[in-house]
Amino acid sequence: MQANTTSAIETRLTGNRTVVIGIVAIVVILLIAAVLLFINLPDANAFNARVERLFIENDGLTTQAEIKLLEILAGSGTAFSDTLSSYRFVIFVLLVFATAMLVAAVAFLVMLVALTRRMGQIERKGIEVNSLLISRDQKSVYLNNFEFKLTEAAIETLSVLAEARMDDEVLSGAEIEGVISGRPASDCDEAAGATRIKRLRDTLGNQMVSELLVKNIARKGYMLAIDKDVIRMV
Amino acid sequence: MKHLLLSCILLTAAGAAQAACYADYKAKQDAPLRLHYGVAQINGDCTVDAAQAELPSRLASDGWTLLNVLGVFDDAGLAERVESAGEYYLRY
Repeated sequence: MQANTTSAIETRLTGNRTVVIGIVAIVVILLIAAVLLFINLPDANAFNARVERLFIENDGLTTQAEIKLLEILAGSGTAFSDTLSSYRFVIFVLLVFATAMLVAAVAFLVMLVALTRRMGQIERKGIEVNSLLISRDQKSVYLNNFEFKLTEAAIETLSVLAEARMDDEVLSGAEIEGVISGRPASDCDEAAGATRIKRLRDTLGNQMVSELLVKNIARKGYMLAIDKDVIRMV
Repeated sequence: MKHLLLSCILLTAAGAAQAACYADYKAKQDAPLRLHYGVAQINGDCTVDAAQAELPSRLASDGWTLLNVLGVFDDAGLAERVESAGEYYLRY
């Protein structure tokens, strides 16, 4: 069962904690792996020690040719241990890459979860206006991607409201009427402004509902423009 | 007669002192690993332990580390080891 309330701040905090814990875990695991790897790789001196033991344990190995051969053996072993140390570096680089990849993967995973949650919230919230574009020439307004035709008076009202919003102002009916008609607000009637708002709401609301909910299919009739699975009767 | 005996004893003693003691050993140098088999004269007691005590300091002068002493012998054993010891025959 879903909780009734969700807090955006709480979500963000848990998200951040998850990211930090995940990244720390990855770094720790890979560090341990690196340390184990470096410990377990044979020591550069292992070959020399082996040859030395061979030399000590076999009393018969005394002629110069045999000793020379042993030295060559140790030399080739040392050369191989140089190769090993280059392998060690390659492995280290790969581990660093792996760390970076996994850190990125965790970050993206958490981001994905957060985005999904946010998408769900947006879907529940209904229509959210991301862009409002008023075109006076075409007497139309674009809400997100929907185009709505408005009368000149309605456009005028919407423009006034938009400008007031940009300045973070609240306008009374009389002020709206005053701006549009060009008279001082004190001379204007509150009801005149309210009428303008009502007309704007009517035309815009009507078009929005017909676009989003009650569709008119030409020469056929009307239909709800929603998925049938989301309908429930109480 | 007595003098002769004495000189005889002295000679034997000298002969015994002359019967020098040698040890053959194995030594190494690190980085890069180098090995050698050598023969060295031992000045102290003619035992492996004495050789083991005596040789490291002599070898260390050239950076060699003594690995082990194979055994001790006298002049009779020298000839057969000349070839194996090579440049390290009686060098240290």
